[in-house]
Amino acid sequence: MAQLQLKNLYKQYRNKKSKQQNDFAVNDFSLTCNDGEFVGILGPSGCGKTTTLRMIAGLEEITKGEIFIGDTKVNDIHPKDRQIGLAFEDYALYPPLNVYDNIAFNLRAKKISEQKIHEQITQIAPLLKVDDLLDSRPVGLSGGQKQRVNIARAIIRKPKLLLLDEPLSHLDGKMRQVLRTEIKRLHKEINCTTIIVTHDQLEAMSLADKIAIMKDGKLQQFGTPLEVYDDPANEFVAGFIGEPPMNLMTVKISKNMDEFFFDFPKSEVKISVPQRYHSVIVDGMTVKLGVRPMDVLIGDKTSKGSRVHVAVFENLGEERKISVRVGDEFLTLTTAEEIRLKHGDIIRLQVKAEKTHLFDVETGQRIRATD
Amino acid sequence: MAQIELNNITKKFKRTVALENLSLAVKDKEFFVLFGPAGAGKTTILKTIAGLEFPDAGCVKINDDIVNLVEPARRNVSMVFENYALYPHFTVYDNIASPMRSPLYKKDEEFIKKEVYRVATMMKIDDLMDRLPSQISNGQKQRVAIGRCLVRQPNVFLMDEPLAHLDAKLRHFMRAELKEMQSSFDTTIIYVTHDYLEALSLGDRIGVINEGKIEQIGTADEVYYTPANQFVAKLFGEPEINLFGADIIEEVGKIKLKFLDQKHLFSVEDDVAAALSACEHSVVKMGIRGTCISYSLSKEDDEFIHGTIYSLEPIGNKSILIVDIAGQQIRLLAPNDFYADLDSDIYIKMNLKNALFFDKDDETFIIRHNQKHYIEKTL
Repeated sequence: MAQLQLKNLYKQYRNKKSKQQNDFAVNDFSLTCNDGEFVGILGPSGCGKTTTLRMIAGLEEITKGEIFIGDTKVNDIHPKDRQIGLAFEDYALYPPLNVYDNIAFNLRAKKISEQKIHEQITQIAPLLKVDDLLDSRPVGLSGGQKQRVNIARAIIRKPKLLLLDEPLSHLDGKMRQVLRTEIKRLHKEINCTTIIVTHDQLEAMSLADKIAIMKDGKLQQFGTPLEVYDDPANEFVAGFIGEPPMNLMTVKISKNMDEFFFDFPKSEVKISVPQRYHSVIVDGMTVKLGVRPMDVLIGDKTSKGSRVHVAVFENLGEERKISVRVGDEFLTLTTAEEIRLKHGDIIRLQVKAEKTHLFDVETGQRIRATD
Repeated sequence: MAQIELNNITKKFKRTVALENLSLAVKDKEFFVLFGPAGAGKTTILKTIAGLEFPDAGCVKINDDIVNLVEPARRNVSMVFENYALYPHFTVYDNIASPMRSPLYKKDEEFIKKEVYRVATMMKIDDLMDRLPSQISNGQKQRVAIGRCLVRQPNVFLMDEPLAHLDAKLRHFMRAELKEMQSSFDTTIIYVTHDYLEALSLGDRIGVINEGKIEQIGTADEVYYTPANQFVAKLFGEPEINLFGADIIEEVGKIKLKFLDQKHLFSVEDDVAAALSACEHSVVKMGIRGTCISYSLSKEDDEFIHGTIYSLEPIGNKSILIVDIAGQQIRLLAPNDFYADLDSDIYIKMNLKNALFFDKDDETFIIRHNQKHYIEKTL
């Protein structure tokens, strides 16, 4: 167990053909993962998250920057000596070996005595619920079981750091949920500093203590699941986190008497600008307005909100989702209330003022209200 | 426009039975969803209707005509695949026009142009006409694929997981758009999916398929509120419905339930009590969804059950809270700012008015309280 520190990490792949320098795959990435912490690196494909993980593991050369595991700088330490446990998305078990031998493999390579190996496997196997499978061959196992074996093999060496690369993405929905919970429990039991790389925001949110969100090689935000959800640093994070996604709409600010409004293009819909934004906006300014579907409400008869037609009503069991057309775009709201609506019904839109976010149309950066 | 009927269809692939004596009737202009886990036989049903697979037994009817021996091309069915299957060297316009240029359905170019633009406007791709498939996004490709199927005005429109390739965000939008366009399709649609949200959202009716057989056919409200059996109950809803055994106990003439090693006996409503006392076993399987369970950090009354926090998983606007009670894990929901250490104490209370009851042996549905109310409020 140890702290992991990434300091101003860069990675640049050389293009062999043209000998030109490519863009940075990882660009000035810094991160501290405290001892025993579970950190998620989250982003769309191609954002540099796996490259980062591979640099930590030592499978990829570091272009610039430093990596510390505990107090040791590991830039020049061989991967096998970094004391890291690695589990990839595609299990990579040895097919001719049974589960026991698969888990034992790395320990045997280190010439650890069979008795000690047996002790350790007996200890680890129940944690991952593979104790009944020790005699089976990988071919007979389900995807979820294979991934459990794979993780068991990664933690058997008592690594200082556990790295998980998209461990759940090959599994179907139900299995994914089960294993997600198991990984969370496992982390509580062994309390090993863990990094998970994933493109699935639900996975990152549900597992990690803190999430680093990456895009185009750069860190966008680093915070707890609640922070990145409730207080996004920019438009990208706001849109990436949360399902159904946050409504992000370009609106123009207008002034009528002493009141400011968000005007939606090609639409009659107006929303009153919350007081706290008055110091950072001006009449005629264009901004991106972000509001989550659950923070848009159906106003009652006394509500001053704009009247809109329901375009789509979906009853999804646990919640109901209502989409209305505002200009060319959908504005979505969700509610847990047991209501029934249909296409064409009229509702009044009401927005939770304290849950609105504004973003710069050009840069996507958050425009924060002065309190 | 057509009604589709499958009568006692059996289909085997070597020794594997893909469809077993399956019967199904889809009404004219209905949006019918085939829903089930991977390998259930959903796609095989679609292919049987399209004529791409021959049934070993049983007959396929389109508008009361038996079509078993009719070639796929002459059935006038149209199919959208998960992987779009667009012609890479054709523009969007030519891709959409392609079915009307086939020898069988040949139309003149003027007619084609009108039709392509009608469909493209509906699918909101009319500004992409000159692009190649490689120059448009996945969501747009899917719209082109759907548009291409709509131009022919087919008898029936078969869609095989059309949204499965899209990322979660885009899927939300496309699902809503598809639903918005539903009325303008004006044809019978059979739609295959393994995503329960798509099934609930889109289907006029849903056929739940498992291992080549039908588990239940019903409206979204029917399958969600009164699932035919435990299998169906588990497929709809997230987190998955909680299922555990309960003893039926008679206490001074009243039917009560004892479960999860609790000393307390839980009362049930009269309609449920009547059905349970008529039950031949003294044990019943109880199902309760996470949304019908509340929690507290103290035992507020006798109905609160003590447990420990097994896992707490924030998923955005809420958290999934998994509570361990007597070795059984109960899943419920908590607000996203709820925080507690794993293994700490917690108390939960189940709203038994919303519980579902299943036979302990064959797992079929017995009753829920006020059952009619849930079905009849369907609009």
